[in-house]
Amino acid sequence: MSMRRRSKQTHESSHGIDLAPMLDFVINLLIFFIITAVFVKEFGLNVNRPTSFEQTNPEDSEGIQIQVLATGEIWIDGRQVDVRAVRANVERMSAIDPDTGVLLLADEQAPTGTVVEVVDQVHLGGIYNITFTTSN
Amino acid sequence: MQATRHTPESEDHGIDLAPMLDFTINLLIFFIITTSFIKEAGITVFKPFAVTAENADSGNLLIAVRENGEIWMDRNPVEIRELRALIERLHIERPDDSVVIIADRASRAGVVAKVMDEVRAGGIKDVAIAADTGASG
Repeated sequence: MSMRRRSKQTHESSHGIDLAPMLDFVINLLIFFIITAVFVKEFGLNVNRPTSFEQTNPEDSEGIQIQVLATGEIWIDGRQVDVRAVRANVERMSAIDPDTGVLLLADEQAPTGTVVEVVDQVHLGGIYNITFTTSN
Repeated sequence: MQATRHTPESEDHGIDLAPMLDFTINLLIFFIITTSFIKEAGITVFKPFAVTAENADSGNLLIAVRENGEIWMDRNPVEIRELRALIERLHIERPDDSVVIIADRASRAGVVAKVMDEVRAGGIKDVAIAADTGASG
């Protein structure tokens, strides 16, 4: 009897608690987190958006004004330009005044693709201060 | 007799699971930490192309605008009127959220502008417009 008890005790101390159920549980948790992990990487452009408080008349603001019409045409300073010419225009104007910003005045119906292309070209022209407004 | 005594004993001992458990828990902690619960828009749109698009690291709330003007958020189409309330609620849950608007190339700038306004009115000031960079095609 005493032999058996002693053997049981040594048996227990050598084993400790059984870790197998805990391992099962942890592996289940692990699988859950691996499955739900999403590695989404989005690349984005940041533009300013005037709040209603600072809603200004486009005519008052200095700097470069670029209009995008509903048809996707781009107008700078009353001239229609190609999207590839935006960069050169912006570079020229930012050379005159490096602190200048760009006011992007898009028609409500203008395609977003064109607007984003213009933003991209203005960035390439060296100006990151873009204010995006829409008009109808 | 010998065999029956031997079998349960060897089963009892087995291999030591403690190191495996340590390792697994480390993996688990890694995945818990790196999990950023991104709310995906749920639809695929043709993003505009822009070379200068920056990695919007913290962008974890994606809103898609389709070419027909539909707005999708968290795998559901939403109305422009509900957007503000939804954003407000999410902003209270996690105040450091930022929004990326995934607008279709052919979508209207007016819709994107309205979505931006609603998101900002809902309290999230960090809004970006998604674009494909040259690297990803």
